[in-house]
Amino acid sequence: MSSERAEVARKIRRAAVLAGLGLAMQLGAAFHWTPATFILSATIGAPLVLIGGALFLAAVWRNMRDKGAL
Amino acid sequence: MLPLSVIIALTVGVAIVAFLFFGAGALAGHTVGRVVLLVGLLALPVLLSAGNISYGFHQSSTTAFCLSCHEMRPHGKSLFVDSHQALAAVHYQNRLVDRETVCYSCHKDYAMFGDVKAKLNGLRHVWAHYVAGVPQKIELYQPYPNSNCLHCHDDMRRFVEGPAHKPVLSALYAGTTSCLSCHRVAHDMAKVEAGEFWQAQ
Repeated sequence: MSSERAEVARKIRRAAVLAGLGLAMQLGAAFHWTPATFILSATIGAPLVLIGGALFLAAVWRNMRDKGAL
Repeated sequence: MLPLSVIIALTVGVAIVAFLFFGAGALAGHTVGRVVLLVGLLALPVLLSAGNISYGFHQSSTTAFCLSCHEMRPHGKSLFVDSHQALAAVHYQNRLVDRETVCYSCHKDYAMFGDVKAKLNGLRHVWAHYVAGVPQKIELYQPYPNSNCLHCHDDMRRFVEGPAHKPVLSALYAGTTSCLSCHRVAHDMAKVEAGEFWQAQ
């Protein structure tokens, strides 16, 4: 694997960790559904997913820019 | 009760993200793989989160959700008191409101941002429950608005033609006379304490 592709994969993994954590947090809240866990799920779990998605897009965008595809 | 469909969907989502975490290196190398990454790491988690939050908002309107805080249990019990005057009991026992969402039906405003306001108030409740402490006597944040009653009773024949309502009808619509000035008992907490409950036959 080229170093460039390895770098992209590393960034994608970082995004996957955040998205996975966000989903896992929401999953945990769903097992014990209370007002507090719902708020935690909505204020921490969902934003983690969004941050993960944004990091994924940023990684793809940077990779395309570096390749001159934009 | 556990939200099974939400749990299954989120579990599948976590599994897919975990799979993509380990397969990122291989998938990033070709077009189809990149599309799979796009769907699995962006579209799917965002959709699942939106669905989960939507489910949560729906659940947070249910009677069970409101009564999940122990402070509200006496108010929950007041739905069952043996009374023909207490508003909560009358509405609940005669099925004048959906029993699944009885608290929300009467305690949310029906204006444009009524739902948002109710949810923000819910945040205040959670803050009080966990941090600030629950007041000794639970009271509304503001006087109960007639518009909440009129949302359903507005054009009801029994309401409009009621002898007690006719003389004050315009004042009730204008909000200058509160419905509660006559219908004084919303939750009959005295009967809750006395254990006087209605038993359905």
